[in-house]
Amino acid sequence: MPDWQKPRHEARRVDWTRRSVLRAFSALGLLAIPATVMAASPGLPPLRFGLTPVFLDSDTELLGALERYLTGRLARPVALVKRRTYQEITTLLLTGQVDAAWICGFPFVQFRDQLSLVAVPVYRSRPLYQSYVIVQAGDAAADLDGARGHVHAFSDPDSNSGFLVTRYLLATRKETPASFFRRSFFTYGHRNVVRAVASGLAQSGSVDGYVWDVMAETEPTLVAGTRVLHRSEWLGFPPIACLAGRRDSPEIHSLQKALLAMPEDPVGQEVLRTLRLDGFDTAAPSLFDEIAAMSDFVKAHA
Amino acid sequence: MNRLPPLRAWPLTVKVPLLVAALMAMVGTAASYSVLTRLTADQEAHLRQLSAAHLDALAVALQPHVARQDVWETFDVLDRVRRRDGGETTRLLIVTLPDASVLAATDPKDFPVGTTLPPELRSRLEPSADLVIDDERRLAWFHRPIGSGATVIGHVLSEIDIAPLIAVRRDVLGTLLAVNGGLIVLFAAVGYAVVGRLLRPLGILDEYVERVRAGAVEPIPRRFIAEERNEFGRLFHRFNAMARAVAEREALATRLADEEKLALLGRLASGMAHEVNNPLGGMLTAVDTLKRHGSDDAVRQRSAALLERGLRGIGNVVRAALVAYKEPVGAAEMSPEDLDDLRYLIAHEAQRRHITLAWENRLAGPMAVDGAAVRQMALNLLLNACRASPPGATVTMTADASDDGVRVTIRDEGPGIPAEMAGLLRSKATAPLPQGGRGLGLWTVARLLDRVGGEVEVGVGAEGGTTVTLSIPFLERRRTYAAA
Repeated sequence: MPDWQKPRHEARRVDWTRRSVLRAFSALGLLAIPATVMAASPGLPPLRFGLTPVFLDSDTELLGALERYLTGRLARPVALVKRRTYQEITTLLLTGQVDAAWICGFPFVQFRDQLSLVAVPVYRSRPLYQSYVIVQAGDAAADLDGARGHVHAFSDPDSNSGFLVTRYLLATRKETPASFFRRSFFTYGHRNVVRAVASGLAQSGSVDGYVWDVMAETEPTLVAGTRVLHRSEWLGFPPIACLAGRRDSPEIHSLQKALLAMPEDPVGQEVLRTLRLDGFDTAAPSLFDEIAAMSDFVKAHA
Repeated sequence: MNRLPPLRAWPLTVKVPLLVAALMAMVGTAASYSVLTRLTADQEAHLRQLSAAHLDALAVALQPHVARQDVWETFDVLDRVRRRDGGETTRLLIVTLPDASVLAATDPKDFPVGTTLPPELRSRLEPSADLVIDDERRLAWFHRPIGSGATVIGHVLSEIDIAPLIAVRRDVLGTLLAVNGGLIVLFAAVGYAVVGRLLRPLGILDEYVERVRAGAVEPIPRRFIAEERNEFGRLFHRFNAMARAVAEREALATRLADEEKLALLGRLASGMAHEVNNPLGGMLTAVDTLKRHGSDDAVRQRSAALLERGLRGIGNVVRAALVAYKEPVGAAEMSPEDLDDLRYLIAHEAQRRHITLAWENRLAGPMAVDGAAVRQMALNLLLNACRASPPGATVTMTADASDDGVRVTIRDEGPGIPAEMAGLLRSKATAPLPQGGRGLGLWTVARLLDRVGGEVEVGVGAEGGTTVTLSIPFLERRRTYAAA
């Protein structure tokens, strides 16, 4: 073979490789995908990851980025499963229909003997958040007692910040939502609580403080119609959990690794930036002891 | 401010365009009304169809949420629908339960959850209240029951902004008004022009008739007649024929008046010949006497004086006749002697009838009046007075001057002037020419009197006797009057 032919042959090989890489990149939409992506086997069953409607209802870009990140990291397809209520996701998780799910602290403590923690989001350097009771911006109420007789919007009956905290506060006053509020209803979404209060449909609402703070940045006009009336203690941030029996399975391990490594990856950074989170961390179940205590108190005084 | 004349007195050029404009306005109003009525009906039908389609779909979508009385989901649906619409047409959407309490509304601050709908809106939910329109508030309401079959689990009510529909109607009305208004003005203007053109011959005719009334009889010029080949053309021809007849009659009357003057002299001719002849015998005798006894100084003196008197008498008569015959009409002055001359003309007539003339001429000097006219009038009246008076009677002529004219009075002792003759005298030349020559003299006096602008008074005494007084203004004064 003449020498002059060699570079040509090698050039062709390089060309092929570059084209395949480009094709993979274009399919994934990003250039900085780790090499494991190319090893993704379509033969493996997808990892099913449940999401509760925290506030990302309509954020398809965020969901796409999250799916891309996890798919790339786990080297297998990832199916993001969304349902309208917390209860549906919890049920899917408990019955093994999803492998892991981002659930609320309240369902976690309700089923803590069946569930294990995979990771906990870190928000403003801590795995903690608050629950807010909000009212309309012009409302004269000075504290929670000022909300008596209101039409009140809860987020979800299985939400800690959007239901349990307020229910606990009322129980300490020997009240129930039915006795304290003129009327209450569930919106099945923290963003919807803000919408309900801002529009005047409800005079007050129970909302995730983290969601409200993020919305104050992303939707200032909507949030401007509301005002925080009461802030709760700092409580355990909604965690990613799996069935206790599958805690040691390799896919859960990979998932945990992927979540913890999110800040090191450009796509992961994009996801975190959108969510306004610092990253994910491991945590002991004791992080949710306060929520468990509130749940127990409410049950005892129901 | 002047009051408008009554409608019937308005000129046709105004009345006809006004009538056309009024008819156009009525037609325009009727057409506009029917267009707007039809447009309103169409808009209402469209609104009903659109609202029905909109709310039917909404009612189906809302049904499961209303069945669960899910405040949030109901609100969410309403809110999304309103956002998609942009709140431009659908101002408000309310879902109520069968007890008329609000489950959710797009404007929850005005219609809070759980409160009862205000009675005004509640009445919009009646099955009979299909589409309720309030043009004044520019709103409409439409509702649909929610539920399947006969089971009604709630209502959805929409409040619709119909301001755009009303704006369209207003635009259409504006266009109609502008078009109709324009047409009315156009038709009125065209009507004005057409009627004005049609009636122009009447204006021409009116002008020439007015000239006739003012005394200038002129035919309508040919160029006007050439333009009108219709009824007006015939009318113009007839007017011109009439104008020619009037002009001819006027010329005839003038000629008659002149001839009457000659006739007057003719009537006086024999008397005048007598006046000339009378002194001739004495004068011939005087010539004889001079031939025979011319050497005697006294005889010569006496004969010469006689001759002189005779010749002067003849001279007077001839001069008076010549003046009466030749004097130009329109002389600007009359001396007292001009009037006194008349005595020579009627002296024989008076003598023949044994009538005494009482002559009292108080005029002090020349008077600024038309002497020829005054003399002809006075002569006519004196002759009439002599003729009317019985033998032995006295005919009086008095002339004097006042500040503004000359007054000549002629009085007789006759039986009194007949009423129709007195009327002829006062007629100021408007009376027709007397038939059969009777009264021609008085008719001439009336014409002349009118020409000099004088007045006449005719008086008949209780025991007969007629007094005719002519008042003739000075010429300057007449001019002043005319100017004033």
